[in-house]
Amino acid sequence: MAKLPVSVDKIIDDFGPHKAYAPQTGFHGNSEPDKLVKTHCCYCGMQCGIKLKVKDNKIAGFEPWEEFPFNEGRLCPKGVMRYMQNNHPDRILSPLKRVEGKGFETTDWEHAMSKTVSEIKRIQDTYGKDAFAMLSGVSLTNEKSYMIGKFARVALKTANLDYNGRLCMVSAGGGNKKAFGLDRTSNSWADLKHAEVILVAGANISETFPTLTHYIWQARDNGAKLIVVDPRMIPLARTADLHLPIRPGGDSALFGAMLKIMVDNDWLDHDFIDNYTSGFQETIDAVKDYDLDWAEENTGISKELIYQAAEMWGKANTSFLLHARGIEHHTKGVENVLSCINIVLASGRIGRPYCGYGTITGQGNGQGGREHGHKCDQLPGNRDITNPEHRKYISEVWGIDEKDMPGKGLSAYEQIEAIHRGEIKGMISICFNPLVSLPNNNFVREALEKLEFYICIDTFLSETARHADIVMAGSLHEEEEGTVTTAEGRVVKINEAITPPGNTRRDGQILMELADRLGEKEKFAFPTSEDIFNELRVASKGGTADYYGITYQKVVDNMGIFWPCKTLDHPGTPRLWEDKKFETPDGKAHFNPVSYRPASEMPNKEYPVVLTTGRVVSQYLSGTSTRRIGKLLDQYPEPLLEIHPKLAFQYGIENHDLIKVKTRRGEAEFPAHVVETIREDTVFIPYHWGGKHSANQLTIDSLDPVSKIPEFKVCACQLEKTGKKGSQHLTETAYQSSL
Amino acid sequence: MPETNYDQEMAFFVDMQRCIGCHACEMACAECETNGQESMIHVNYVDRAKSPQTTVQVCMHCEDPTCANVCPADAIHQDEFGVVHSANTSRCIGCSNCVLACPFGVPKKMEEAELMMKCNMCYDRTSAGKKPMCATVCPSQALYFGTREEIERMRPDSEPVNSFMFGQQEVNTKVNIMMPKGTHQLIIP
Amino acid sequence: MYRLFKTLNRLALIKATIAAVLTVILVLIGSRNLQNFDPALIAYLIGTVFAIFGIAYRYSVWIQRPPTKLYWRRSMQFLFSKFFFPYLWRSIKLFFRNILFQRFIAFRSRRRWIGHFLLATGCLLAFAITVPLTFGWIHFVLKPGDDTTYYALLFGFEAGSFSLGSPLAFIAFHGLVWSSVLVTIGAVLMMQRRFTDGGLIATQSFENDWLPLILLIAISVTGLGISYDYTFLEGKTYQFMAVTHAITVILFLVWLPFGKFFHIYQRLAQLGANLYKTEGRRRGMAVCPHTKDEFATQTHIEDLKKVTNELGFDYSKTNGRNHLDLSPEGKRSALAMAHLQARQKQGKFFG
Repeated sequence: MAKLPVSVDKIIDDFGPHKAYAPQTGFHGNSEPDKLVKTHCCYCGMQCGIKLKVKDNKIAGFEPWEEFPFNEGRLCPKGVMRYMQNNHPDRILSPLKRVEGKGFETTDWEHAMSKTVSEIKRIQDTYGKDAFAMLSGVSLTNEKSYMIGKFARVALKTANLDYNGRLCMVSAGGGNKKAFGLDRTSNSWADLKHAEVILVAGANISETFPTLTHYIWQARDNGAKLIVVDPRMIPLARTADLHLPIRPGGDSALFGAMLKIMVDNDWLDHDFIDNYTSGFQETIDAVKDYDLDWAEENTGISKELIYQAAEMWGKANTSFLLHARGIEHHTKGVENVLSCINIVLASGRIGRPYCGYGTITGQGNGQGGREHGHKCDQLPGNRDITNPEHRKYISEVWGIDEKDMPGKGLSAYEQIEAIHRGEIKGMISICFNPLVSLPNNNFVREALEKLEFYICIDTFLSETARHADIVMAGSLHEEEEGTVTTAEGRVVKINEAITPPGNTRRDGQILMELADRLGEKEKFAFPTSEDIFNELRVASKGGTADYYGITYQKVVDNMGIFWPCKTLDHPGTPRLWEDKKFETPDGKAHFNPVSYRPASEMPNKEYPVVLTTGRVVSQYLSGTSTRRIGKLLDQYPEPLLEIHPKLAFQYGIENHDLIKVKTRRGEAEFPAHVVETIREDTVFIPYHWGGKHSANQLTIDSLDPVSKIPEFKVCACQLEKTGKKGSQHLTETAYQSSL
Repeated sequence: MPETNYDQEMAFFVDMQRCIGCHACEMACAECETNGQESMIHVNYVDRAKSPQTTVQVCMHCEDPTCANVCPADAIHQDEFGVVHSANTSRCIGCSNCVLACPFGVPKKMEEAELMMKCNMCYDRTSAGKKPMCATVCPSQALYFGTREEIERMRPDSEPVNSFMFGQQEVNTKVNIMMPKGTHQLIIP
Repeated sequence: MYRLFKTLNRLALIKATIAAVLTVILVLIGSRNLQNFDPALIAYLIGTVFAIFGIAYRYSVWIQRPPTKLYWRRSMQFLFSKFFFPYLWRSIKLFFRNILFQRFIAFRSRRRWIGHFLLATGCLLAFAITVPLTFGWIHFVLKPGDDTTYYALLFGFEAGSFSLGSPLAFIAFHGLVWSSVLVTIGAVLMMQRRFTDGGLIATQSFENDWLPLILLIAISVTGLGISYDYTFLEGKTYQFMAVTHAITVILFLVWLPFGKFFHIYQRLAQLGANLYKTEGRRRGMAVCPHTKDEFATQTHIEDLKKVTNELGFDYSKTNGRNHLDLSPEGKRSALAMAHLQARQKQGKFFG
């Protein structure tokens, strides 16, 4: 049933994406708002503080929040423009139902709810409980994330709940749990300030976490050396002390080789290694053959640069290693992360001031959202759904029989595969646009078309929502109170600035009513968001991500509290491991041997070029909201194919030429952007777009065996000139964005 | 009439080598009420084919502004704080003299409105004791608004420079550019 | 006093005197040696002559400034060229579009255009009525034996007639009422913006932004007061109305050359600027050596080099090039590259 009801053009006419701009003199009340509401940006894991201007229950603009300690008023372009969503003409203001041949028509909540519940029951009665799956997202607050975990297990009674964090930081989570027994950035960003060396691997900070840039520049003002590992010369790398232009997929080879150099030169902290870690010997045995020649061949980085980086890192007294999706979006994502952790542990520089390590969480609540149970294998407090003790504790908190607690379910992409195989027949999704964000999305589309019933809760009709039978009009970030946990582990307060407009509802309200109609009313009786949080505190108590000591009041009074915070009188923990007691069973930090292996699809004669994907500063993830904000889209209107002049020359490609990129999964056309700032053997396409502009038509759906993250960062492709030029008008601004 | 709380202790400092080209300043500039959703700040790639280097340019508020001198309509006014204001809307005839003569490439001509507009250091905010929008939001602090003492403490190896040499012409400005320590002038060859 | 004389612009003074004297002569001719002059308007006449003197003086000073002089010279040169007719036609079209209808303001804000258009139309209409009356150029008479037909005399020559009580007469005699209404609505719209727009609030000044609006409203209201008085109050308050109106109008006239209203005359230069661009395009565009794109007319760039020189700026370089050859984007990039070089030379980007 989930094929598009009408042509895609008609749906776009009705629901966008349309570009919206503020009126020439700003929205009504911009000069004299009724109130300024302190909250946070809805986009990335930095969760910058911002004040929203409210007039007549509408968002009228923003004002920098200079007192918030992380960003002190600083914002990126997405943060500045985030206020444009509430007034957006594409906003879904009422529940919608799919009408064959017509598109989507407004319906009432009664119909949306009763239809949904009857379909859930029909599918589950016919095919079994797990045939109805749920996909969620981590732009949602902790409260919603927690409630979704509970909703899927208690009300839907399905094992198949997963979330879009599966495309985000699960590799980091997997690695961190193995090494430290806990999944959080080890330090607050304040520890960057006086680090002597900062190593940034696969993190385009300047475009994806722009407000973190200040911390790095501040460190450099204080004398820090900066090493950037990235196949492209990203803005952060331009002035870096070392830029290691790595071949996509070569990360564990690089860090393995660096570890060997550290060992060979005895740039090691033996005291720390001997007393507080385990597995060192096996780990260095695994890299004993990784000499510089081998490393140069497998990373594509010159020997000199690798040695310099190892020396800079090895000899430092303080340091901070940061990584993000660049090393994590791989079939060996967890191994890449572990190889980074290995060089951190070997240096002994952790758990001290200005000695830090961490992944930079991508999504707004990528941190909190991955702790409280909306992963397929997880229960609140970062507990394990297969661990009998954990199951027992949470069952008690939830007031269910442990036997009724579903087991481990399928991860996000595995769910799509199960839909495709006909095992999953129905789905409810919230805050996830898999048709844009999952790899090999032609396959994803086929899967969606096979669903018997699909309900989507969203604020805009995303590419995926177009396949829904029922669309429930949910709430924006500024329309529901809650908390999120930033990438540095700081729990902050999201305030409700306005009530949901029109006939929309708070997401929490929608889920509670569904639970009610599924017969679980009393387990979802939360009058306020704070009540959900208070249950979450209890549910997380004793887990590794312990929020018990955090209250709304404490969060507001302190402008954020870092977890773990186990008791009410505890001030929170900005820096982990100061006591050198790790959360692993033996209390030690674990080295993990990592042997380099190639990516799942390496270039060959037929597909000779490496394709990698990523983001641009003006867009956020699948673009459901940012592709609707006029100024953000104008800054980079359509995806371009970044290609080095030498590779371009081989194919006779010039700037603006429209190039067909082909992989074993699909093909698409992109205008060429010929720049020297990318490796000669690699091309890059940003992935924020859907339809024929989608880079994920090309990417490969092979997954990391541990984290199940897809390998977005490496696949093999062919390039073909089409003989056409890209639309000058559209692409010009992206090439040269001075307007 | 408007009371002014313009704080002359506060100054503007630019270091375009910190700029990451994110355009946050540009988006925020349009929120400044004196220019009604038009952005007055310029962010552009220097040579994108070769480098991701971007530059960011606010009005430098020259001590003897070329733009005001070449204006045939006396439309550009420098106030007692040294802020060079956007064109007086009733006088500006849209001739573009200022656009083409400004050595920093700052003024913008709004073609259809027959009007030049330029950065006035967020006068609605600075005159109320607030910081300009661009410098407040700049995530890399390539744009900084604060006291000279603050910036000297934060960036001890740099020197705020407000003198420029364009060909034979020396231009002194209210806005500073952060240069290597010991430099007193930026010479544009 | 000495300073004042010293700073007086001799050329402007001569021109202004000529203008004022010419006006007086035209008044004498037009009113047939004051035969058709209405003595009640003497104060207005003196005010107007002073205003003309002031405007001519200021205009003359204004076009002596190098950039203005250049535009003036170029406009004349380009207009009286072999393209005289197309350029004249173009200028006339633009005169209607941009001067009489001020359409360019609509692109700044629609509401603002409506306000300004009403205001300007009211003022122009009022000038068109009052100036010829004040100068005695127009004069209405009833002919003996016919007390229903009015004859209008222009410079003493009969130029038309209409019957009393006809709609035409009603419209004509209430012309100032209509203009007052237009001015008042326009001024109120313009004032409203100044109360609500944060940007305007921050940058406006009393004498340049509020006073003109207040003055225009005062003139309109007191003028309407005179009409109201003779229509409904049978002239009981005429003295008061007439005096207050005269005071506001004379204030306006005296202030006309110096304050905000001077922009009315300046605006004409927009036509010249347009012609300058059109002819410049015909002569060829300048290409920025950095961006390799056309960005302005070559004539404009060359003229600006001269004008900046006259003004005491020298952007020429030792290599024979000139900083002004760069487009705005080229200049910004040049600065950024110089800065990058300085930083690279130091070997440190930070600290």
